[in-house]
Amino acid sequence: MSRDALLARIRAASPGPGSPGAAIAGRAPSAHALHPAPPGLPALPAPQVLGDPVALFIDRARDLGVGVERVPSIQEAAELAAARLAQRRVHRVAVWETPDLAPVLEHLRAGGIEVLGPGSSIEALAQADAGVTGAEWGIAETATLALASNPQQPRLVSLLPPVHLVILRADRILSDLHALFLHGGTLPSSLTLITGPSRSADIGSVLVLGAHGPTEVVILLIGR
Amino acid sequence: MRSTAPPDPTTVPQGATGHAGPRIDMIGNTERAIRDRALQDALGRALPVFRQLRNEMAAEIPEWELLRETAARTKDHVLAHLDIYLSQLEAQVTAHNGVVHWALDAAEARRIITELARTRGVRRVVKSKSMTTEEIHLNPAIEAIGVKVVETDLGEYVVQLAGDRPSHIIAPIIHKSAASVAELFARKLGVPQHERPEDLARVARETLRAEFLAADMGITGVNFAVAETGTLVVVENEGNARLTATRPRIHVAVMGIEKVLPRLADLGVFLRLLARSATGQRASVYASLVTGPRRAGETDGPEELHLVILDNGRTRVLADPKLQEALRCIRCGACLNVCPVFERAGGHAYESEYSGPIGAVITPALRGLEHASELPFASTLCGACLEVCPVKIDLPRMLLELRGRAVRAGLAGWMDRVFARAWAFVMGSPARLRVLGGLGRLLQRPFVRRGRIERLPYPISGWTAYRSAPPLAATPFRDWWASRRNASPPDASGPGTSRERDGQ
Amino acid sequence: MRPVALFVTCLVDQLFPHIGECTVRVLERAGCAVSFPPAQTCCGQATFNDGFQEQARSLARQFLDVFEGAPAIVAPSGSCVAMVREWYPQLFEESPALHERVQALAHRTYELSEYLVRVLGQTDLGARFPAAVAYHPSCHGLRGLGLREEPLRLLAAVRDLRLVELPRADECCGFGGFFSVKFAGVSGAMLSTKMESIEKSGAEVVTATDASCLMHIAGGLTRRGSRVRAMHLAEVLAEQ
Repeated sequence: MSRDALLARIRAASPGPGSPGAAIAGRAPSAHALHPAPPGLPALPAPQVLGDPVALFIDRARDLGVGVERVPSIQEAAELAAARLAQRRVHRVAVWETPDLAPVLEHLRAGGIEVLGPGSSIEALAQADAGVTGAEWGIAETATLALASNPQQPRLVSLLPPVHLVILRADRILSDLHALFLHGGTLPSSLTLITGPSRSADIGSVLVLGAHGPTEVVILLIGR
Repeated sequence: MRSTAPPDPTTVPQGATGHAGPRIDMIGNTERAIRDRALQDALGRALPVFRQLRNEMAAEIPEWELLRETAARTKDHVLAHLDIYLSQLEAQVTAHNGVVHWALDAAEARRIITELARTRGVRRVVKSKSMTTEEIHLNPAIEAIGVKVVETDLGEYVVQLAGDRPSHIIAPIIHKSAASVAELFARKLGVPQHERPEDLARVARETLRAEFLAADMGITGVNFAVAETGTLVVVENEGNARLTATRPRIHVAVMGIEKVLPRLADLGVFLRLLARSATGQRASVYASLVTGPRRAGETDGPEELHLVILDNGRTRVLADPKLQEALRCIRCGACLNVCPVFERAGGHAYESEYSGPIGAVITPALRGLEHASELPFASTLCGACLEVCPVKIDLPRMLLELRGRAVRAGLAGWMDRVFARAWAFVMGSPARLRVLGGLGRLLQRPFVRRGRIERLPYPISGWTAYRSAPPLAATPFRDWWASRRNASPPDASGPGTSRERDGQ
Repeated sequence: MRPVALFVTCLVDQLFPHIGECTVRVLERAGCAVSFPPAQTCCGQATFNDGFQEQARSLARQFLDVFEGAPAIVAPSGSCVAMVREWYPQLFEESPALHERVQALAHRTYELSEYLVRVLGQTDLGARFPAAVAYHPSCHGLRGLGLREEPLRLLAAVRDLRLVELPRADECCGFGGFFSVKFAGVSGAMLSTKMESIEKSGAEVVTATDASCLMHIAGGLTRRGSRVRAMHLAEVLAEQ
């Protein structure tokens, strides 16, 4: 069987205890460790301290052309979301159907916008003018959003429509990726890190937004 | 690596795939490339921008060097315990309802994937950019069983439509102008001849959106695979890899054995290094962390997830203490962007999906040096690649190592052999240098015009094709030194030569 | 008086003796007692870089025999010094005794600007050179030996010299030893870029720490009829 043949090849090839990789002493803890790691795994750099993570997040988002607007509560976020979507002549939105977002969805429905929840057909989703989601985390260093999949949080909502509107709590903003991955917890089937609008510079080395995913990402930041 | 036993100097890696092809004509290819004006313009425009962005992004992180060092050591650690980490990865992927397949070579990987397509009634396949699937020539195999396969990365889509090959790890059509893409789309897709890249991208987006909706299998590469969680990480900017891994009912991910990382937290190091090194972004637009297929109650995501773990020559590199370091590579392309030879030669000259300095090492290592013996010589050994490599691969050292092996295996040209032996003979004793230097001074006379040599004979005519040459000085330094020592006081004779003789 | 053994390099010995003479004068001005072991020839880099390690090893052994007794070895070439320091130890990896000997030698072998600035702590050698000068950092000095500031500090101390900025300075000139003949087209294209940068800089003189790169650059400049002259750093520092 190829599995055993391949592993045998690896064992025959392996540089063994004398190699630089094996020689390094010390072991680092890990939030997910299920098996004891072989000795010699280098320790990870500590998360950075970058001053106020929220200010940095907003700053770095601006560099990506991502607008961030701050609101005190989910109610104001609902109103602002409706206004921002109206400005973009959005009639149909794909959404995450989560309790956190309930006030937003309610507001959108009340405003006559067609809301497509989980379970909508892909053909319908593909016709949505915008996607509205929350985000598990924000990463300040890069203005990255971390979105987890689950039955209420389909993956395609943040991907198919041309506009992606994200509602994020300011207290969920971490300094950098190290901080995110040291958090532990169970991984969803899909954890997507999103940093700005979809883009490509393949053709003529010219930057184009909205290659396959959204052309625009809008973030409403709740709190603080 | 330097501390372990040296390899048998006479061994040359043998081709792994069985279709390593004829010898790569790197010298001829580069001569053609420098005469291709459009290619030179495209590379000369794009690469300095890549370099500048990368430098800015590296400078922005104070602990950049620590990240590089950590990444290099982590990769070395994984390579030293690869069997353990791959077994752990397999167990975790399986625990999350994924299926793991092992492929010893390209043919086996193709067989696994086409069998999956056949047994599951697949009609249409979408693919996101993956160097590994390029390496195993997957697309023709899928087409051969009557299944349509579409590349969905904008650049790879253009490559596929044009019947071309990618020429850069992360910028596949860096060799093509927007105008040539416009012409291609008009011809192949029957659309008007758009001039602006954003219009061309829109055409591709619309065409490919339909392909995504219709596809029943999606094939991606893997940037990193996390052993402790069974998580597969795919990094991109366009969103096509997300669509490929989400929409079709079957997701097949193909990875080389070296892609495994121990911990989820290692991604904090590697994702930061990759984006900043590759495209000079703080982060790539999308990093998809896939842990198993869709779970109960989820409304999207694939129903099946298959991971193909590929050897295809890698274990031979692993067994080679002097080349093993090449398996640290995370395919960022920074060494291509900074390489002055790549900037003139372009990716196609390397006749491999892996080009630039890393290609000049990996292609001979994977395919066999006898097929690619000119590649390691295509470098001035300027060291720019080592300086930017996020995992600190000592490419100049490995290029020199491969040059040495090429010579020992008798793969050097006659000109090189004559030159090296003659040089070692002349320089082997100061007396010989004196006598033969004197002879050279006589023989060069017919070639010297106004203190310069404008034409040298074959086989060193390449020098005077682009520059004049200085003649041997009338009085070598050693003679000046001897006369100075004999004269007294020491500096009375003054400098005994003139600038003209130095060719200046 | 610090005793220094000059390794003049084969290229300077046979093609550019003036660079060697200037190196001697500069070292003497810096207070060194310069000697020239006459049995020296070539460090072997030309053959090593072309993959002929056997030939390189025999030349390296010769170098070892010639220079082993010297307290300090100075060469007007970053490339040849990098050969001794970085690659000699690897050439003799399999023979511990020789490895140890070349290792010891490697630590005592210096490039000229490195020796002047790092070891002697001197930057002002009393030179005067009224010209606009661009500095090309040769790759093996810059990235192999880590010499970024040393040559620039020496040039900054030269009276009446105006240092001009060289665009894309860190990029290789395209020489690369036998590469320049084998991949002549690419080498020529790299040289063109370098020459365009030099001419754009407004320099009257381009200088570097390596005669090999300068031979290549000067060959290109002469061919295109440029008025910019190529001079080795030692030649600039010897001007008074």
